[in-house]
Amino acid sequence: MIVAEQKPLEEIRRVIVPYEKVLLLGCGTCVTVCGAGGEREVSFLNSALRLAQAKSGDGVHSFSEYTVKRQCDFEFLDVLVDRVNEVDAILSLGCGIGVQVVAERFPDIPVLPGVNTSFMGMAKEWGVWDERCAACGDCRLAETAGICPITRCTKGILNGPCAGTKNGKCEANKDMDCAWILIYKRLERLQQLEKMRRYYPPRNFRVIPRPRRIVMKADVESGEDNG
Amino acid sequence: MDNEVKNYQANRMREASHGRRLIPPCQVACPLHMEIGEYVDLVAQGKVLEALQVIREGNPFPSICAYVCTHPCEDACRRSQADKPIAIRALKRFAVEFGGDRMIELEAETTQSEKVAVVGSGPAGLACAYYLRKLGYPVTIFEAYSELGGMLRVGIPQYRLPREVVDTEVQRLIHMGVEIKTNTRVISLDLLFDMGYKAVFITVGAHQSLRMGIEGEESPGVIDGATFLREVNLGLKPSLGEEVAVVGGGNVAMDAARAAVRLGAGKVSILYRRSRAEMPAGPEEIEQALEEGVETMFLVAPTKMKRGNGRLSITCIKMELGEPDVGGRRRPVPIEDSEFNMEFDTLITAIGQAPQISEDFRLRLGRGSTIKVDPVTLTTNRAGVFAGGDAVTGPATVTQALASGRQAAFRIDDYLRHRYPLIDKEEKGILSGELSPKTIEMIRKIERLEPPLLPPEARAKEFKPVELIYNWEAAVDEARRCLRCGMGAEILFQDKCATCLTCLKVCPYHVPYLAEGGTIQIPADQCQACGICVTECPARAIVLRKPYSRRHIDEELEHALKSAAESKSKPLIIGFCCQYGLFGTGALASLWREGKAGIWIVPVLCVANLEEGHILRAFEMGAEGVFIAGCGEQCSRENTAFWVLQRVERIRKALSQIGLEPERLQTFNLRTAEGDIAEELDNFTERIGGLCLASVIKQEVKS
Repeated sequence: MIVAEQKPLEEIRRVIVPYEKVLLLGCGTCVTVCGAGGEREVSFLNSALRLAQAKSGDGVHSFSEYTVKRQCDFEFLDVLVDRVNEVDAILSLGCGIGVQVVAERFPDIPVLPGVNTSFMGMAKEWGVWDERCAACGDCRLAETAGICPITRCTKGILNGPCAGTKNGKCEANKDMDCAWILIYKRLERLQQLEKMRRYYPPRNFRVIPRPRRIVMKADVESGEDNG
Repeated sequence: MDNEVKNYQANRMREASHGRRLIPPCQVACPLHMEIGEYVDLVAQGKVLEALQVIREGNPFPSICAYVCTHPCEDACRRSQADKPIAIRALKRFAVEFGGDRMIELEAETTQSEKVAVVGSGPAGLACAYYLRKLGYPVTIFEAYSELGGMLRVGIPQYRLPREVVDTEVQRLIHMGVEIKTNTRVISLDLLFDMGYKAVFITVGAHQSLRMGIEGEESPGVIDGATFLREVNLGLKPSLGEEVAVVGGGNVAMDAARAAVRLGAGKVSILYRRSRAEMPAGPEEIEQALEEGVETMFLVAPTKMKRGNGRLSITCIKMELGEPDVGGRRRPVPIEDSEFNMEFDTLITAIGQAPQISEDFRLRLGRGSTIKVDPVTLTTNRAGVFAGGDAVTGPATVTQALASGRQAAFRIDDYLRHRYPLIDKEEKGILSGELSPKTIEMIRKIERLEPPLLPPEARAKEFKPVELIYNWEAAVDEARRCLRCGMGAEILFQDKCATCLTCLKVCPYHVPYLAEGGTIQIPADQCQACGICVTECPARAIVLRKPYSRRHIDEELEHALKSAAESKSKPLIIGFCCQYGLFGTGALASLWREGKAGIWIVPVLCVANLEEGHILRAFEMGAEGVFIAGCGEQCSRENTAFWVLQRVERIRKALSQIGLEPERLQTFNLRTAEGDIAEELDNFTERIGGLCLASVIKQEVKS
């Protein structure tokens, strides 16, 4: 799941300055789950922005709110057509993907980000989220006992642990587990410690072209003659 | 048509559609299907007038039920699975007394021409007359005795139901235009039809005591329970002598024994052929009888009696319990050669009663000489003749009789209007199921508060009511124990649900769970309606089945803001206070009336239902300070304070980003031992005053 967090109120207030009518657009999928941009957060932001405006005394904005199921597909955005015609800007509380899809769908209206898309991760407990995947496109979890050193090691090294590990924690943050110690312990438990003794050559990130695209459909001609 | 009647008729449909509330077990168990959850909730908020209104909608004579109802609702109460049931009847008594039930005047207009005769003025007859009047029919009650009330007057002793209560209800009926004919025994139904009555409701009760069928039963000194109680209740003082025996184990036996104590009998013994566990009398009745010095002899039955030397010599046989009978109670079996003799001055038989129906009525009778009726329409074998109450069921409870009277009124209305009877469909949405052990574990155990009783030594001398009324605080505290069955949370918008598992993680009772298909389920029979998941749900997909939380707070807040704007008092402070336990209108409102003109209270039903939006809105509309006051650890729900603090921290963060001091938002725990809430509130008001001044100065410096 994509994890994001709402931008500071000052920043949001700054970016909306030029626009009078602003639609606060929530997304009902990942950012709802991580408490950054679901219906509840949209409503909270709406209340907070109105309060800020009332206190600063410059009441120029009017806010409306709406939450779609998903912002990252055009089809979900169709319901917005009428609403969008009535506003000067959209503040999207979707992830970076959502912001871009909304912008693409409504080319004539400014779309502003309301959250910082942070990482892909999981809920550790209520109110705490941890990063788990860097979407590197070259998954090595089979060798590392299902624990990703790219994301969970501060250095992201492929041949760990480094000399900075101490009592199973990382030198960068002593509350954080050393990913490579975790990997070692799990490999030991799985009786696959030989995987620790191998050397993994550095990865060549240059071979990954950006933006990436995955094509799943086969290249066949469509038409009446087929089938 | 009268509102109350319309309400009743709409009731069933409303129950299905109104909110998505499930019918709680107490309401299902009540013969009148009163909205018990509703009025208990209102008592918990101290809204006693509204509670009485709900009670009156479902019950024609709440003051009577408040005294004598056998409260099957309490037997069904699900709190008994965690500790003890809610004292529902006592709470109703509180609402009736404090809500001013006796001041209520009712009127009814005659809108129909068909006259209806009600034969018998017991609870069923009175209820039927009441509803028929509400429906606009001219009604006449025929009563054989000199006063109305039937068993309410001649069967139930005064210490359980004071006569004034019956009198008040009868006066109310007369005021509604019911015609009363006392000292009038109906001997022929044909005559009634000849007199122009279009329908007749027979509800003559079951006044005939059953005979034991043993030798010597006719001896002087033997009296049957119904006759004895009738004499006592009509003000006669039968002389009983020193030692009295009562045969039987039902409520009539208890009443007879307790009445005998009050008439001055030295020793009163109850002879019952089974053991205490099988006694049909209400447990409270038995308990109170024992407290008053009544003795009990179990597993004995009289076999013959003889009068001699001015005393009764009674031969009894000992019994043992055999196989359970059809009713599930173990059958008493005599032990051979175990006869023994005892002597008493008087023996009261109370082994059951049956109706006595005149043959001239030409009604088909069933088992135990009861009138045979269709259970749905209450029609008898004769056209236009309906029957109900004990005459149909055999001895039953007052509430059952009231329900039967009400049913008769509506069926008679159907009959006279040539309507196909509107039969109550099988009710949908009944809350069923036991509480699971892990839910029970998390439910806060709160002691049941009983209303005070007269001390036994004071009771035995007179016929004054034994049970006293709750005081205000005790009633509110008792009502707060209600688990609010059927009002719990549900995922109303499954399409919005992101399956984020927030509800599952925040529920203090571990109720929501992830079903196999990957959807979240919130089992209604486990939910405690605390509302935490409703407010925390990031998708706003969950609602409480009783939709009061959000809208209710919105309305109250707008109202407070409007009033505050009109009063122009400065600095404006908004206080969100839990309404349960009277905090909203009681403890804090009194402080605020005492000169703290700037404080406006917004009552909320548990602060756990308060959303960030509400608080931000208060600031937006000009509040200089906001405080939240709940009952903290005294809350009847688990963990509510934690969630309030979570939200408070979030808002404080937003406030400081906006440039407002976070200390403008405060929380107070009411009902804590330490600290004086009035003083804390004073300090808070002062601090807010200081902050206001500081911000004014800051602005002036800026300009």
